[in-house]
Amino acid sequence: MGGTNARLAWLFVGGSVAFFSRQALGEPLRLRADAIAEARAPAGLVVLQGQDRKYPWVDAEALVWAGARTDPTADVLVLSVKLRAPRGWGDLRLGRFVVSTGAIRPLAIDGFSAIARAPWGLSAEAFSGFPVVPRMATTGYDQASGGRLAQTITSRATLGVSYLDQRSHGRLADQEIGADLAAVPAPFLDLAARGAYDLLSSGVADGLISGSTRFGQFRVELFGTHRSPSRLLPATSLFSVLGDFPSQVLGGTVRWAAAPRLDLLLTGGGQDIGGELGGYATMRGTLRLDERGAGTVGLEVRRQDVPSSRWTGVRVTASEPLGPYLRVSTEIEVAAADGRSDRGAAWPWVLAALAWRPGKGWEAAGAVEAGSTPRYRFEWNGLVRLARTLEIP
Amino acid sequence: MSDRFSILLALALCVGACAGVLGIRREPSHAFEHRAHVLKGVGCLSCHEGIATAGDSDPMHFPRTADCVKCHTKPHDERRCENCHGETHVRGSAELARRHLRFEHRTHMPSAQGDCVRCHVEVGLERPEALRPKMAVCFGCHQHEDQWRTRDCDGCHVDLAAEQTLPSSHLVHDGDWGREHGLRAASARDLCASCHSERYCAGCHGVGVVPALPGRLAFDSVRLSGLHRAGFRARHSLEARAQPGLCMTCHSERSCLDCHAALEVAPGSAARSPHPPGWLSTSRGGGQHGPQARLDPMSCASCHGGAGEKLCVDCHRVGGPGGNPHGHGFSSTKDKLVDLPCRLCHGGL
Repeated sequence: MGGTNARLAWLFVGGSVAFFSRQALGEPLRLRADAIAEARAPAGLVVLQGQDRKYPWVDAEALVWAGARTDPTADVLVLSVKLRAPRGWGDLRLGRFVVSTGAIRPLAIDGFSAIARAPWGLSAEAFSGFPVVPRMATTGYDQASGGRLAQTITSRATLGVSYLDQRSHGRLADQEIGADLAAVPAPFLDLAARGAYDLLSSGVADGLISGSTRFGQFRVELFGTHRSPSRLLPATSLFSVLGDFPSQVLGGTVRWAAAPRLDLLLTGGGQDIGGELGGYATMRGTLRLDERGAGTVGLEVRRQDVPSSRWTGVRVTASEPLGPYLRVSTEIEVAAADGRSDRGAAWPWVLAALAWRPGKGWEAAGAVEAGSTPRYRFEWNGLVRLARTLEIP
Repeated sequence: MSDRFSILLALALCVGACAGVLGIRREPSHAFEHRAHVLKGVGCLSCHEGIATAGDSDPMHFPRTADCVKCHTKPHDERRCENCHGETHVRGSAELARRHLRFEHRTHMPSAQGDCVRCHVEVGLERPEALRPKMAVCFGCHQHEDQWRTRDCDGCHVDLAAEQTLPSSHLVHDGDWGREHGLRAASARDLCASCHSERYCAGCHGVGVVPALPGRLAFDSVRLSGLHRAGFRARHSLEARAQPGLCMTCHSERSCLDCHAALEVAPGSAARSPHPPGWLSTSRGGGQHGPQARLDPMSCASCHGGAGEKLCVDCHRVGGPGGNPHGHGFSSTKDKLVDLPCRLCHGGL
């Protein structure tokens, strides 16, 4: 079956159920509309979103948008209905949504996802659908199916295995099995790991592991990642046959609540990119200017040093309320690559914004941004956003 | 030694001078004197009158000035007592609990037997951080293991997504959450869904359909961090080269081409070649393009994918001048004469 009609059918079902739940139950309906315009291009965008959720057995939500940059266009980001069995024994999602089960990376589909949970901690999830093609376009015989089986062990650990089968134009583009683990062996220790194994080219596509602990005002995390770029591409791509040259990172993160209003974050690691060694480090500080954190000042310094990418970046942010409804914010960044090139050696960027939020209901914001990019020595842009939030009882 | 002392002294002076800004020296606020009242033998219900029979939707039972002056007949100030006695965040926490939790004092009073401190454990402290009981206190009596396993939170939480309460123990959202969240969601996606709606995930991961990333839409929320913040357009190629494969965990190879085509920096546009000198060489080794393609094949696929693959096939087909492109570690279960992309090069045998 081609994707077109089935995809439209799902959207119709999703829209119908959302309408039904609103009409039949008379529950509060949350709506939000955003209109955004920018001077560059020029471009405009209207985003409409709604959520209907009062009864525990059904949620419906949607986010659609329409806009224009060069040509008018529109799309559906989410249009889904979630039905829940009593006491959480199972869920069924229908429509357009994002699936990511276990080791399977996030994938937007038009289809269904069902999960069943047993009281002894076993859960089984299955999904199937058509990978979303942007701008309402269609491709024939695209399809993705998979699932996950997981077991929770004494509330301290969850172990899962998952499977994905994805086809593009009817041809096998991805076939992976994965495993995931989350464990809290002690109250101060938090462990997580996941990995995906590519069955088509027999190798690890990606893997991540993390262990963290908290003591006092510190949180310390050690992590490792492994990615094989050629295995992350669809197996139908010519560039998936270039061999296994993985990118690996081994690093750590320390978060320190240095003072009641000051948070510091230091993260860094060593990298091995296809045999080339390097590393990176980032320091971020956030200072709240009052007890509630309404005003903040932030500083971020970053250094990347691998043979294919050596650069330094500094980012400064500040945000402060001007009375109960107005807020002024600014953000400044400079990224500088090592060595000069004809595309520039440093790219500064600055944004100044003013927002008005009189409480529930309307809000408006405007900003001017300017900067330098590898393409233009100087460019600027103006941004305006007008939003309206409604809750209809 | 004196230099070191001077530096330490300067640091100490800086911290001292900034103590107010850093929150080390707090603004004067006055926690309510619960402990003093208890020691004087004043029972909780004397001030919080009616709380013992309060239901889920009854008004809050904060004492007012009129309640205080029943005992304190000569107040030292004409202003309302709650202006100074008691902290705003403590009251705010209780009001949030009323809005977001299903809870009735009246059903708990029989088992508590008038011992309010059994749940409100911080009442006895000089400076309590919160008087609202933490969830762990609830779990002291209510064993919700079945509800936890089946994500059945509605019994107590009205709407977790609207509540926006962050977990205080595991699944904490601090640290480098942008990197961590995918790993955590891998094993607990439906737990994430207890609070986050579909739109929250799709806002970033609905790649290709997303009109603009949440950070771009909320351009005035400069506190947001994330991979694509600030001048990302200028540094995106540096970011991509620094972590090969990371882009592919969300983006398809079309993502680059679509954006580059819109900005007229794609193949076929008037833009010049992005490749440096020596990229492609007819000498042994073929120049830099081979090693770089192996490190980051998506960069190549983003421009040369689809029909553009012919450029590669012309040289690297079996018997072609480019030689065998398969690097170490390559294996495939595909039929090289039938399946794509193998047959592009092997099919002509």
